[in-house]
Amino acid sequence: MQGNSLRRGSVAGLPAGSGSALPALLLVGLFFIVPVVALLLRSVIDPEPGLQNYAALFGSGTYVRVFLNTFLVAAVVTAVTIVVAFPVAWMLAIMPPALGSIVFGIIILSMWTNLLTRTYAWMVLLQRTGVINRALMGLGIIHEPLPLINNLAGVTIGMVYIMLPFMILPLVGTLRAIDPMTLRAAALCGASPFEAFRRILLPLSLPGIAAGGLMVFVMSLGYFVTPALLGGTSNMMLAEMIAQTVQSLLNWGLGSAAAFVLLVVTMALYAIQLRLVGARRAGGGI
Amino acid sequence: MKLILTGLLAGLLTATAAKADEMAFTSWGGTTQEAQTKSWAAPFEASSGIKVLQDGPTDYGKLKAMVDAGNVTWDVVDVEMDFAIKAAKDGLLEPIDYAVVPKADLDPRFSNDHAVGSFYYSFVLAWNKGAVPGEPAGWADMFDTKKFPGKRTFYKWSAPGVIEIALLADGVPADKLYPLDLDRAFKKLDTIKSDIVWWGGGAESQQLIASGEAAFGQLWNGRVFALQQDGTDVGVAWNQNLTAADVLVVPKGAKNKDSAMKFLATATSPAGQAKFAEASGYAPINTKAKAEMPADAVKALPDAHVEGQINLDMNYWAAHRDEIATRWYAWQTK
Repeated sequence: MQGNSLRRGSVAGLPAGSGSALPALLLVGLFFIVPVVALLLRSVIDPEPGLQNYAALFGSGTYVRVFLNTFLVAAVVTAVTIVVAFPVAWMLAIMPPALGSIVFGIIILSMWTNLLTRTYAWMVLLQRTGVINRALMGLGIIHEPLPLINNLAGVTIGMVYIMLPFMILPLVGTLRAIDPMTLRAAALCGASPFEAFRRILLPLSLPGIAAGGLMVFVMSLGYFVTPALLGGTSNMMLAEMIAQTVQSLLNWGLGSAAAFVLLVVTMALYAIQLRLVGARRAGGGI
Repeated sequence: MKLILTGLLAGLLTATAAKADEMAFTSWGGTTQEAQTKSWAAPFEASSGIKVLQDGPTDYGKLKAMVDAGNVTWDVVDVEMDFAIKAAKDGLLEPIDYAVVPKADLDPRFSNDHAVGSFYYSFVLAWNKGAVPGEPAGWADMFDTKKFPGKRTFYKWSAPGVIEIALLADGVPADKLYPLDLDRAFKKLDTIKSDIVWWGGGAESQQLIASGEAAFGQLWNGRVFALQQDGTDVGVAWNQNLTAADVLVVPKGAKNKDSAMKFLATATSPAGQAKFAEASGYAPINTKAKAEMPADAVKALPDAHVEGQINLDMNYWAAHRDEIATRWYAWQTK
């Protein structure tokens, strides 16, 4: 079907560039569509044909709990990421371009450092005998080490750190597009800085927050390394559970079913994101 | 791009592994695999002229995938005994050719038709001397948060060990452990659940104890041995040490089966086992090996602590693997 419409498209005289989409489509077909179909098949035929894997998935308190926890973690991470990213993005948006590009470079650079290395660094920083707890105890601020790792706090800190660039980038784009004169006008009309933020900056930056937020949320849903290392077992996320089911229990049918459900949810969220971003584009013409 | 590269790489590996003068050995990485390379692969390469490619870490999912797909790139794999029993039942393993692998001196506890012992280890109670007041004497102390406050660390995955420890701590006699009373074990584990930090791999267990993040825990004796070699102030209680074995298996359809069997003969020989045991602190499964080891090295082995030693029942675990795992993860995530 896809091949047909493509050929028809080229006959209809689309720009020559569209021919180069074919390798990309082949790649997507080979490395995405085929495995996904295989995944779906396995979830309904392994160990025997039927929907028993899905029944087991939704009937098991463990899986349902892990599902809910996955969404909880993703939501908390997204919320905290937005709060942390906003001032950074605003600073980047109003900074002189030369300085801005340096700060930008630092943020991007952190993304290129190996994920596992960064996660291990957080383990060292956050543990009971880690740098943060030692410093706080040395300063006399606390007397007992804070529980910063093997719990939701640890997962949140580690994941927010990793997700920040994905929130900052779309936000900066949106914030840069806001005319600084609107804020000056608000101040001239007597609005306090907070009022100006609440009634002008925040509403105007909502599309960026929505786009970044959904991206972070969707990415968080499938996260593996960081929650596995910084979280406790009661914060287990779905990706880790799937890995266990497949690698340790060799129950590929059940693992496939769980992976497929996660994929469907992720795709649905991605569709919402496209809609929101699309809506913004449509509205941007006014 | 990465996928293409991985594909190419897999193709290359397949092509090379199929050559008669090469074979692939897969283990868990780290100090254990280094010792295996030095003690088994190096002498085997020298005597047979067959090159041993190292791969890892062991991944049961990957092993099954290879056999299912009929494209097996691993020839010898180091796995846990309970997995080997289950995998043999599921048809994932080649039978061991005991015409090539001399059987007479192998400890019968750790070898069967489809697996031959790699080494055996003990779970021991280890503690950070700076973080624990006094000396915990046994597993019961790991559950006594009044006498011994602080975090304790246990093996995270559903595997032989923690359930048995909980039952022993609750007063079940060692010879009455099996069949495992799961209700009782989880009830006992509930009492210290908020004090447990889990370790997922050997290096993590060492880090937790060495840093004092966990005051004490259930560790593989070889990991404690390595910590002590590094000069970390770690105490160890051998009382009720729990033994289990790693075994070497040949995946069904391995391309270099003949070389694999010859490799197994070298790995399980008295010399191969003695060298590995000396380097790792894990015990040899060849009964003649200890005679070839220095007296100091023998003292570090679980063999020196047979009194009160408990054999984890791998056959029981192999038979009840899935059922225990389901309850284990349900309890953990609660």
